[in-house]
Amino acid sequence: MTLLPLIFDGVLGFTLLWLAWQLLGSPDLFRAIVLFIAFGLLMALIWVRLDAPDVALAEAAIGAGLTGALLLAALARLGPPSETASLDNQGDRASVAEGGGLPFRRWLVALHLVLACGLGYAVMSLPSAAPGLSDAVANSLALSGVSNPVTAVLLNFRAYDTLLEMGVLLLALLAVWSLGSTPDAPPDDQPVGGVLALLARLLTPLLLLVAGYLLWVGGRAPGGAFQAGSVLGAAGVLLVLAGWRLGRRFAQLPLRIMLVAGLVLFMAVGLFVMLVGGDFLTYPHASAGGLILLIEAAATLSIGMILAALFLGIRPDSRADQ
Amino acid sequence: MSVLIFSIHWQVMVVLLPLAGAIACFLWPRRGVMLALVCALGTTLSVAGLSWLVVVEGAQRYTVGGWGAPLGIDLYVDGLSLLMLIVTSVVGVAISVYANGYFERSRARAFWPLWLFLWGALNALFLSADIFNLYITLELLGLAAVTLVALAKGAQPLSSAMRYLLVTLLGSLLFLLGVALLYHSSGSVDIAILAERLSASPVVWIALGLMVVGLLLKTALFPLHFWLPQAHASAPAPVSALLSALVVKASFYILIRLWLEIFPPNNFVLGQLLGLLGAAALLWGNLQALRQTRLKMLIAYSTVAQLGYLFLAFPLANIIGWTGALYMLLSHAIAKAAMFMAAGNILRFGGHDSIADLDRIVQRLPLTVTTFALAGVSIMGLPPSGGFVAKWLLLEAAIRSAQWWWGVVLVLGGLLSAVWIFKVVGYAFTPSPVPHEVRAVPASMEWSALALALTAIALGLFSSWPLALMMVGLPFGEGGGS
Repeated sequence: MTLLPLIFDGVLGFTLLWLAWQLLGSPDLFRAIVLFIAFGLLMALIWVRLDAPDVALAEAAIGAGLTGALLLAALARLGPPSETASLDNQGDRASVAEGGGLPFRRWLVALHLVLACGLGYAVMSLPSAAPGLSDAVANSLALSGVSNPVTAVLLNFRAYDTLLEMGVLLLALLAVWSLGSTPDAPPDDQPVGGVLALLARLLTPLLLLVAGYLLWVGGRAPGGAFQAGSVLGAAGVLLVLAGWRLGRRFAQLPLRIMLVAGLVLFMAVGLFVMLVGGDFLTYPHASAGGLILLIEAAATLSIGMILAALFLGIRPDSRADQ
Repeated sequence: MSVLIFSIHWQVMVVLLPLAGAIACFLWPRRGVMLALVCALGTTLSVAGLSWLVVVEGAQRYTVGGWGAPLGIDLYVDGLSLLMLIVTSVVGVAISVYANGYFERSRARAFWPLWLFLWGALNALFLSADIFNLYITLELLGLAAVTLVALAKGAQPLSSAMRYLLVTLLGSLLFLLGVALLYHSSGSVDIAILAERLSASPVVWIALGLMVVGLLLKTALFPLHFWLPQAHASAPAPVSALLSALVVKASFYILIRLWLEIFPPNNFVLGQLLGLLGAAALLWGNLQALRQTRLKMLIAYSTVAQLGYLFLAFPLANIIGWTGALYMLLSHAIAKAAMFMAAGNILRFGGHDSIADLDRIVQRLPLTVTTFALAGVSIMGLPPSGGFVAKWLLLEAAIRSAQWWWGVVLVLGGLLSAVWIFKVVGYAFTPSPVPHEVRAVPASMEWSALALALTAIALGLFSSWPLALMMVGLPFGEGGGS
């Protein structure tokens, strides 16, 4: 009875390790990225097996999908393979000069083995019934305004963490924009036709619908702002690929306002409930559900825009500056 | 008036103001300077308000979201965190004034939001009482710091920034791994609850070991300092100042928090090991500094050395040792920021920072050379300066705990740093064979650096107030030490 799941888990785990080994060992960057996407999808399956559907959704959408797209976009900008190959050689030479080549690698392998043994021992000696916070979460769930415990933790019990995470996401975009001058890959005046354009026309409304559904359902079932935002981001990526760009009027302040809307609204709600009389981010129990939905809606918009902007990789108004 | 001071939630203001400022600078880049300076002022006032609250009412615990640990996140501020917040504000205001003169328009647009994000991350980190929340602040901090390094255009800063990114991510991941193991074995991520529940089991030791290695990597303790000199030296001058003064200290702060609160008490061997690495950092960093030909590389290696002093407190493990290390942290942050800013002025003035070509700069940039010399006095540990008080305390701690050899290391480090400081000052008086074209240095850049250097000296004259402040809430435990 329990044999089949065991075999399934074993195959999953083994394939994951094998994929990881393959992608780290692959000298071809394109192949490595494809393997990385496969790795992410497999990882999502494993999260499902671990009864963590929220993480699985996020892993599939962000870990496999958008990260894969970002990596492919980065690879496309690295230039032709000959150039990257010579860069690789330089890197190798530099590391040989610094680390002394083979002995250095042996030393690294030894270090990793020690680390792996230590970790293995630590995990084995952990108590099997973890004294986690699930009971505390379950007890306070009724007061949190939502019935999905993951959303309750992310947007209420530990909302401050999520607020700072929104900051990390915005900061990542600022970082990419500050690096600046990578050229925008497909030129604007060359319309993309055929299957891609058709796909973009058909899929974008569908993706918007799915994002809205995920946002709405997040209060009760797996879903929420990060998942919805990444689906929205995927729609953005598709539009960018199909050659669609924001009009110049919207590419300046309106775009920036949408990018920060999630964080700003989160902070504003936190401060508002503080002025009304609680601590920072202490939602009144009666209106908690509505406030969380409000924050999540703005966060979904911002996350989607940020992810799509990351994929584009360049400040959309940078040409207007020149 | 006092009602107002007690009714405002200063902890929240201290974190949210810089973040709000970063967003505002991002939205309206043309007004970036004004917004950033207003925000710097507001943050400093909030820190002052928080200080007032803590001095009057003692250490404060604040429940974000009203849930309280272990379900929610707590902020905790005592003398230790308050001191870090104050240093950050002092250095932060000076850096903001300095950066206003330093960056041209296109780079200022990127600088202000990133710097304010970094400031907010630092403040959030010093206030956090929750190890998972600490991880997020570390992420915010690391990402902002790396990007700021890359603001200096060119291949060299980019590759140092990339290396810094990989190092800081590795450090964060090791920390996160430790957090996961600690949560699984104790059921909480709140530091105070962890302190009650954790006992010296193998899992706890492995988790703490991972976290310590991650934090040491970020603090750049010898031999994990390999990324620091290049990253700190190739960054723009205000960024070098804030990296050396504040960013490496943030991970050190987490380390002492964990050490004081949740480490099992009998960790003699680990303490001695950290002290030994600190001593090695001191000697190695100073020797490498002596060998450098570029001023900014020299100062960056001196940071490696000075970080070593901080770790001498671990083997001493008494209250005087901790206060000495913290005083060193405080005075190094201020003096090193002043020194990097002075180096930035010299670089702006002559277009280079080659030490042998300083070319009678003392006649032409007297304020900057004064800044360098005054900061040097504190870094050498000559009286009267913050560095002197710090070394005096560490020396006293070494004698009290009957470990005189740490005292020898301390004196030797001071002597070595004196050699390179006098070398630089000497070249500032020497004419160079090749004349260089010179550019004017804005007054704001010279005066902000000088103000910091004078603060480092003043720390030697007025040491009783910071020392009393550190003790609020007894972060180092009670009594005369173990």
